[in-house]
Amino acid sequence: MKKLKQFEFPQELVPDFEKAKRLEWITIAYFISSAIGIYLTMGNSQTMKTAWYDDVLSLTPPVAFQVASRVFMKPPNKEFPYGYHRAVSIAYLCSALALFALGAFLVIDSSISLAKTEHPTIGTVVVFGHQIWMGYLMIVALLWSTIPSVILGRKKLPLAKKLHEKNLYVDADMNKADWMSGAAAILGVIGVGFGWWWADSIAALLISVDIVHDGFGSLKQAVFDLMDQIPKTVTNEESDPLLEKIRETLASQAWVKDFSFRMRENGHIYLGEGFVVPAHQENLTELIASTTRTIEQLDWRIHEFVVMPVRELPKDESA
Amino acid sequence: MKTDSHPWPTLLFLLATLLLALQGCSDYPKDPDKTLQKVENGILQVGYSDNPPWVVKTGQEPTGIEPELVKGFAKSIHATVRWHNDTEQNLFEGLKRKQYALVVAGITDDNPWKTEKVGFTRPYLKGNKKHVMVTIQGENAFIVRLEKYLHQQEKATPKHQQP
Repeated sequence: MKKLKQFEFPQELVPDFEKAKRLEWITIAYFISSAIGIYLTMGNSQTMKTAWYDDVLSLTPPVAFQVASRVFMKPPNKEFPYGYHRAVSIAYLCSALALFALGAFLVIDSSISLAKTEHPTIGTVVVFGHQIWMGYLMIVALLWSTIPSVILGRKKLPLAKKLHEKNLYVDADMNKADWMSGAAAILGVIGVGFGWWWADSIAALLISVDIVHDGFGSLKQAVFDLMDQIPKTVTNEESDPLLEKIRETLASQAWVKDFSFRMRENGHIYLGEGFVVPAHQENLTELIASTTRTIEQLDWRIHEFVVMPVRELPKDESA
Repeated sequence: MKTDSHPWPTLLFLLATLLLALQGCSDYPKDPDKTLQKVENGILQVGYSDNPPWVVKTGQEPTGIEPELVKGFAKSIHATVRWHNDTEQNLFEGLKRKQYALVVAGITDDNPWKTEKVGFTRPYLKGNKKHVMVTIQGENAFIVRLEKYLHQQEKATPKHQQP
């Protein structure tokens, strides 16, 4: 049995990875500041409470990313011959579950507040000697929790695609979609100012539905990853075109009479096995080695491809 | 929605315009139940409970720090005060049923009724204990007007005269 090589991003992607790490640090610092801003202006508004949870929850993906990016580079060892890539998926599953559960809780909480016809009390506050309505400060805090988030999301998306980093992609996608919950919250506060007490609970409800939606998306992704779904593109919409390339490569080998293969994702990388019915027995070891090499060179993500000669393929298995 | 077209500048501009317009409005924020509108030039129903020196029960109108402030506030909105004496518990329950617009009883910000369906004002004095008045939940125009009055009084009172 061979241990996996220590994983490193290919040289040309290292700057992108460093940039992603930097952006995620900025994201962490930013969401902490945003959560503090919301907390200070929260009052007893349900919208602001939900927006606060939203900000705190937005911290989990970048924190998971930072923790995981330290762990997954660790070289495989005797205890963990497949390396530490799965740590990423586990961290991801935990944060997705937190997101989903808290979102569900907030949906219920906001519905109760709506059913109980809670009227949010928003008084005044003195800022630099001026007495102003707290609602204006809430709007400022909400803008701070929205606009930078969208900008960060847009910056992270292309990096996530390049690095084939799904956690980063989901995180960026969530940040980018923050403008919707931000706008709902701001409209909620403005509505309260117009005497529409229900605007507060409705806005809170919309935000919590959005959190559940994000949570469900990530949860699905995390579970699929852990279940060894076939490799998907980072947007998770289609199977990776790389699979087709592997199929073509195997089919083009003259010594291969028939074959079938399977691939799975392990963090950023793909591992897989090809079962091959050889056309002849001569020089088999050399042929296997060269085919393996060809396939592993197709893309940096293909980390290990094992070619296994077999007498025949199982009947129901077609390549 | 397509976000590639950078709608931000337009949206921000619209929001800023809206906020400035609202800031200019004299009746923003508004009350869901129009408490301020009803009270102005009308009757201000106030519940009180004896708690010297904040509220002192006498044979007639109550006196003390808080009743004096309430009288001043009522004058500023041309309202006549109607006083109702009761226990704190009953006053809070009456407030939830909107029997009073305002309750004074030397209540502080850490009162557990804060999480019930009533509205606490900002503390009107800076001291060891944060003293507040209590209003109907979410009647924000009324609360803003009251807090503005209380803030003016706080500024007008010299520090050494504050208890």
